[in-house]
Amino acid sequence: MMDRRELLKWGVAVPVAASVPAAAIAAAPDGVDALVLDSRVAGAELAGLTAPVTHVIDGDVTALWYHTLDALWRQPGFVLGGITGSDALFVLERLAVDRGRRVISRKELRASDAGGVAAISWVIAPVHPSVTKA
Amino acid sequence: MAVLPPDLDASAFALLLEELRGAVGADWVWSSDDDLGPYRDSFSPVWDTAEERHASAAVAPADVPQVQAIVRLAGKYKVPLFPISTGKNYGYGGPSPNVSGSVVLDLKRLNQVLEVDDKRNFALVEPGVSYFDLYRHIEERGLKVMIDCPDPGWGSPIGNSLERGIGYTMPQFRDHFGASCGMEVVLPNGELMRTGMGALPDAKTWQEYRYGFGPDPAGLFAQGNFGIVTKMGFRLMPKPEYYRTGLITVPRRRDFVKLVEHVNYLSDSSMCGEAVYGSPLSRLMGDSQFAALATKLGGPSDAEMDAAAERAGLPSWQVDLQFFGPEATTKANWEYAKDRILSDIPGAKAIDGDHFPLPATEEQLLNTTQPYQTGIRRAGALGVPSLGIWRIVGDDGHVGFFPVLPRSGEAVFEAQRVLGDALKEFPLRPFFSATTAPLYWHSHCFQLVFAPSVKRSDPDHNAIVHRAMKKVVAVAAEHGWGDYRAAPIYQDDVADTYSFNNHSLRRFHEQLKDAIDPDGIIAPGRGGVWPRRFRK
Repeated sequence: MMDRRELLKWGVAVPVAASVPAAAIAAAPDGVDALVLDSRVAGAELAGLTAPVTHVIDGDVTALWYHTLDALWRQPGFVLGGITGSDALFVLERLAVDRGRRVISRKELRASDAGGVAAISWVIAPVHPSVTKA
Repeated sequence: MAVLPPDLDASAFALLLEELRGAVGADWVWSSDDDLGPYRDSFSPVWDTAEERHASAAVAPADVPQVQAIVRLAGKYKVPLFPISTGKNYGYGGPSPNVSGSVVLDLKRLNQVLEVDDKRNFALVEPGVSYFDLYRHIEERGLKVMIDCPDPGWGSPIGNSLERGIGYTMPQFRDHFGASCGMEVVLPNGELMRTGMGALPDAKTWQEYRYGFGPDPAGLFAQGNFGIVTKMGFRLMPKPEYYRTGLITVPRRRDFVKLVEHVNYLSDSSMCGEAVYGSPLSRLMGDSQFAALATKLGGPSDAEMDAAAERAGLPSWQVDLQFFGPEATTKANWEYAKDRILSDIPGAKAIDGDHFPLPATEEQLLNTTQPYQTGIRRAGALGVPSLGIWRIVGDDGHVGFFPVLPRSGEAVFEAQRVLGDALKEFPLRPFFSATTAPLYWHSHCFQLVFAPSVKRSDPDHNAIVHRAMKKVVAVAAEHGWGDYRAAPIYQDDVADTYSFNNHSLRRFHEQLKDAIDPDGIIAPGRGGVWPRRFRK
């Protein structure tokens, strides 16, 4: 598991927004269980970044969802971090909400490009009792 | 932004929430701003304006008896419920209600695939089942049926079909409500009803004969507010053995008329799947001189467009054809299509496309080996759910207007000109030009698309989009083209255009609504149908 210091180094862990529920903060462990890197926005400087599991996407989260997150997010726990385009985060955030999870930190690393896609670092953690209780 | 249900004070609302918690458990009732954030319409052009519709609470029942209990509580407090399946109706309002203060009834926990029969080719599902769920259920069991899913595929078969959504395979499956068969509904008084053969105890044909006996009310629950659908059946396509594609181009603008007539014949004869039309000339829209011609007021002449095509060395139109079935029949149908069209339209050409046995490989699903530029999104075409389309959704989403047109080339030409001219006053990218091709989603009509993006950081842009949406609905209706589906903020505008005989259809719906749901417990305003209480 990546620790907070390493996350901070890479800009993944950021101050939690004031609007985030206290339960979300309490539910977030010290690190993430896996990291999603979007090859469109995560540059070469991230090549050495490691986490227990790293998923590389090209903006399309279909395979990540179908083969990994759909099952994992039905179970309690599992904190996911990522550096992705805002479009990929939009999809993951909606899917996360369906499974009792929220984006508990979000930081824009690069403003929107001509297509309206920004680079975002984020952490999604379980907040609903159905997935925070063991 | 805390809101209360209509005509309810804070103390009564607190009592309602307490009773809802008693019915479903405290963990499944939400009323804080944070918790209700996901129930806003992320794509709304009226985001953070007075026109945005906000829920007062959300509740997620675990089963049908809990749905019934919630409906009875809503009746007791006269609080509108807004049912959603998975809430992914983006571009058409997402999970947001018609009436601010409604309680969103989130059916995501009713998520069982109840039955898939690959001998009689149907499925029975609950509303929280997504297309991904149904696809996984079928694949993991090796069942020999194929789903027809929208793109993206994260929504639910029930929610999508009740919105009259579409897919991309064969004609009899692309119209998702048309492919439904049998539903279970919680009525506004909390009673449970089944339609079609489901009304006959012990019938084994609920998903095979949709009508039963007597009037069939199933259509009232699509884009309607007469009940909450808790189970629904769908016809499924037997998994085809083989898939084949081919492209046909025609040289002149007017050739499109004959091309459409031929493809109508192929489609209505069940020889091909979704036909994807396009104009190779659209590649020239980056050229300001050509763009000015293609969007000129009143439209360009055929001769002007033909001259431009000739200069560019491009055909005027193309159609991607898709064939499903045994290899031999896909080949025979493609050969027939080529013979039929090329023998009738001088200068028409055909190019053989990819063809392979099913299931497709990952590479085939990516559709990278087609020997020509194709408009087909292969995953959807083969009934494989995908989320990849989100890569091409810009800004903060979009709203959508999809007018229904006759399946004729002339209708497309007229709509290009009328809608293009009508939208010239708005500083938006042109959606309609002489190169705009129709969508052939619903099986017996064409549609065009106007889907301007929204930007939360730019309220002025959103206000332009909002005005443009209202204008295009009205102008289209003046020419006999109605929208097929709309976000709550546009549903009254669209419903107003279906006005034959002094709005006799709306008055009929209102009479029904007044009879079975006078207090507007189920989604008042949905589909433009308001009960007496809200018509004041």
